[in-house]
Amino acid sequence: MTVIYSLKNVVKERLIDGVGFRLLVPEIQIRSQENIALVGHSGCGKSTLLDMLALILRPDDCEEWIVHPVDGDIHDIAKIWRQDKQGRLAQIRKQHIGYVLQAGGLLPYLTVRENIELPRKLLKLPDDDSIVSISKVLGIERQLDKLPGLLSAGERQRASFARALSHRPTILIADEPTAALDPITAQKIMAVVMEVIKGLKITMITASHDWAHVYKMELRTLKLESETVEGGNVYQSRFSD
Amino acid sequence: MAQITNIIRLSFRDYSHEWRMSGCFILALSSVLAPMMILFGLKFGIVSTMIHELVENPVNREIKPIGSGRYDDAWIDEYRRRGDVEFIIPKTRALAATIQLKSTTANRIVSTELLATASGDPLLAGLTRVPKDYYQVILSQSAAKKLKVNTGDTIDASLARQFQGKRERVHLPLEVVDIADEVVTARSVAFVNLDLLIASEQFKDGRVVEELGWEGNSDAMKERVYPSFRLYARSIYDVENLVINLEREGARVKANVGEINTVQSIEENLSVIFWIIACVGALGFAFSLGASLWANVDRKRKELSVLRLIGFKSGRIIMFPVLQALYTAVLGWLFAVLVYLAFEYLVNFFLAPQLNLDRALCFLLTEHFLWALGITVVIAVFAAILGGFRAARIEPSDGLREI
Repeated sequence: MTVIYSLKNVVKERLIDGVGFRLLVPEIQIRSQENIALVGHSGCGKSTLLDMLALILRPDDCEEWIVHPVDGDIHDIAKIWRQDKQGRLAQIRKQHIGYVLQAGGLLPYLTVRENIELPRKLLKLPDDDSIVSISKVLGIERQLDKLPGLLSAGERQRASFARALSHRPTILIADEPTAALDPITAQKIMAVVMEVIKGLKITMITASHDWAHVYKMELRTLKLESETVEGGNVYQSRFSD
Repeated sequence: MAQITNIIRLSFRDYSHEWRMSGCFILALSSVLAPMMILFGLKFGIVSTMIHELVENPVNREIKPIGSGRYDDAWIDEYRRRGDVEFIIPKTRALAATIQLKSTTANRIVSTELLATASGDPLLAGLTRVPKDYYQVILSQSAAKKLKVNTGDTIDASLARQFQGKRERVHLPLEVVDIADEVVTARSVAFVNLDLLIASEQFKDGRVVEELGWEGNSDAMKERVYPSFRLYARSIYDVENLVINLEREGARVKANVGEINTVQSIEENLSVIFWIIACVGALGFAFSLGASLWANVDRKRKELSVLRLIGFKSGRIIMFPVLQALYTAVLGWLFAVLVYLAFEYLVNFFLAPQLNLDRALCFLLTEHFLWALGITVVIAVFAAILGGFRAARIEPSDGLREI
């Protein structure tokens, strides 16, 4: 299987006067259609790593960072960041990545349908029945013409998944997508999502501090070691294969 | 292109979705802009128009000779050619400059003062016709009333003299080409061509006027000199200098210099006061508009970050707050214009008649409205671009973690 992400010696620090947090990624390789889970307590750097993988957060240092969407070009992300070509990153995000935020991140002024359509419109994809069919699978076809404000938390997350998947990305990144939901709803949604991404051959990377999900859904969990270093001033997390 | 059309659509959807907030921005903008426009409308209406009129009133620009002097044609011509002189015309001796007028519609003879006029006479500024020859006249309002005549009527003018022991009287018909406005003079005045004024003096002096067939002595004509003149400076600001000039040449003159200085200082002081208020107001306007648009960009950081996450480029993201600022600017301006126009109507309709003004007390030209729009848009877009740059520069992941 194609290697979609290949990262070597990536560093991201959030330090103020030498005190704070450091994230290290000695080496990670993520293959196509693998489902990756970042598991750990809050503050261990899951969201930071996800944001970097979603190309919306600049690493402070990195030796190698390749993104290879299966049927797209190979992108040297390390180089693009070095050259600060934000437009290129936006282009890759637009085409290959779907992102689900913890609180949905739906635009409140657009209907659910318009929210889901937005990534397709940006890519000038044709108006077909894909919006309706993905909404049906996720169980929100009756909410399509409502504003997100009128939806329940569960419905909002379903809509958020629909938006992240509507343009058929190669990669789906979800940052604790079920954290705000009750366990039963959370399981239901994730079961549907797992099915969809299998069908669409999408690689999913998700963060969760909820161990139960991980076992049930057979995700590959990245290794996480956390420690306090530099005289207790820096909390350091290390993610690896 | 897809991004731009999408940004326009999204910014408008957001703006109308948040109509309460947008309404507040619009109201905030117009509540600063409308008073500014009203202030400027009043300044333009009262200060500019009224003072301008005061400044331009010929009475304030007239320089009058005291007593009689000796001014020849060359001297008059020299002054006529000066840039700071709007109009100059000779006067003859006051005693010689009266004429008796009679009409068929009134049964009295009206003794009238004769004043020479020519085109460009500020006293007759509103009139289109000028007496071109001996047989035309413009009557003052009071003379026309006494004679009960209108423009186009012909009246009989006559002059009398004692000549070689006999009493003589000559007549000539005068066509009334126009009637001067009441404000020009309250006296009975006949404005005539300079030739007629001179002929009248020659006749009274017992000299011949060949052009009119009036008999008299034809002794060798000396060089013509006039005892007096009627002179108007180009503007009140030229009066003082002209007076100095005339006095240096030995002419004794008087002018409303004191009054002019008062008017001038009032105008200057009012202008200074207006500009202070306008500058303070404009500064406040710029800051309040800038602050609210800047704060708005901050408020929208999360949503703007979501747009970047979906794949909008930073440059396009800046357009989002800029477009919304543009909506606020245009709608706020529109509302301010409506408020201003309502005020203008009330002031001009109810207040102006009470003040006995026949012109508007408060008004703005179309270009003033457009200026207001232009300045508002520039300030709004500038503030939004500053805020937008900040929003586009922060890493999208920071904005996303705000809630």
